[in-house]
Amino acid sequence: MSATDSTTLRLERTFDAPAEDVFDAWTNPEVLRRWWGPGPTWRTPVAEVDLRVGGRYRLSMEDPDVGTSLTVTGEYREVRRPERLVYSWSWEEDGHAGHESTVTVEFVERDERTIVLLEHSGLESQESRERHEQGWAACLELFAARVFAEAPQLS
Amino acid sequence: MANSSALDRTFAACSHPIRRGIVERLTTGELSVGDATRDFGVSKPAISKHLKVLEEAGVIARVIDGRTHRLRIRERPLRDADEWLTRQRELWERKLDVVEQYLREQRESAPRNSKPRKEQA
Repeated sequence: MSATDSTTLRLERTFDAPAEDVFDAWTNPEVLRRWWGPGPTWRTPVAEVDLRVGGRYRLSMEDPDVGTSLTVTGEYREVRRPERLVYSWSWEEDGHAGHESTVTVEFVERDERTIVLLEHSGLESQESRERHEQGWAACLELFAARVFAEAPQLS
Repeated sequence: MANSSALDRTFAACSHPIRRGIVERLTTGELSVGDATRDFGVSKPAISKHLKVLEEAGVIARVIDGRTHRLRIRERPLRDADEWLTRQRELWERKLDVVEQYLREQRESAPRNSKPRKEQA
């Protein structure tokens, strides 16, 4: 496995629906809000979607108890309904978009079912890994091997 | 969720071979500063600098016991770094779940053998 592979996430799932439906659900603001608002303590999340090449999206939720917010934002790079969607992905910190990574989603229809191939590449840890000469990976490996194996489970 | 600058500090802290060496020794348990840092072949001020980086990143903690300073690993920052990618994966798994659930609801409210359902907004 190359260094690039290790910071590209790939997921796959088959849906029992035509590609148009899956594509529309993927970019539907209601679906995005449900996804981005995982618990009752989080304030109603915001999902803004401008689904066209060069258009932006923004997903935001806030935990009023803790006062923290989680916001991700990006730009649509490729919008080919219903087979392909490419967009950038950045966590917003202090109102500024942070490190940019890329999400590519392919929708492959077969016999009225749709396989979704999701790839999230250029993740931030890749940058850190390169910047820090892979040292942290070695650090984590030895740590995981020697400590986590013996450590009691943290809740 | 850990923020990325905290992760960066963790990664930076572990990027130097001497700092990794110190962390590696501490994975066996708490050690005195002397035991944790001996035989690296660098000066005391250099060792102090490395310890400062590790402490500021929160990777290690100093336990002062009378005249003895002992060092131990703090699990949290390293654990955060390790779990970062896992969390990102979980986020996408959840999106796939939500899409699946939504499609199921759509299908149940408008079966395929009926008229095409209303266009979504």
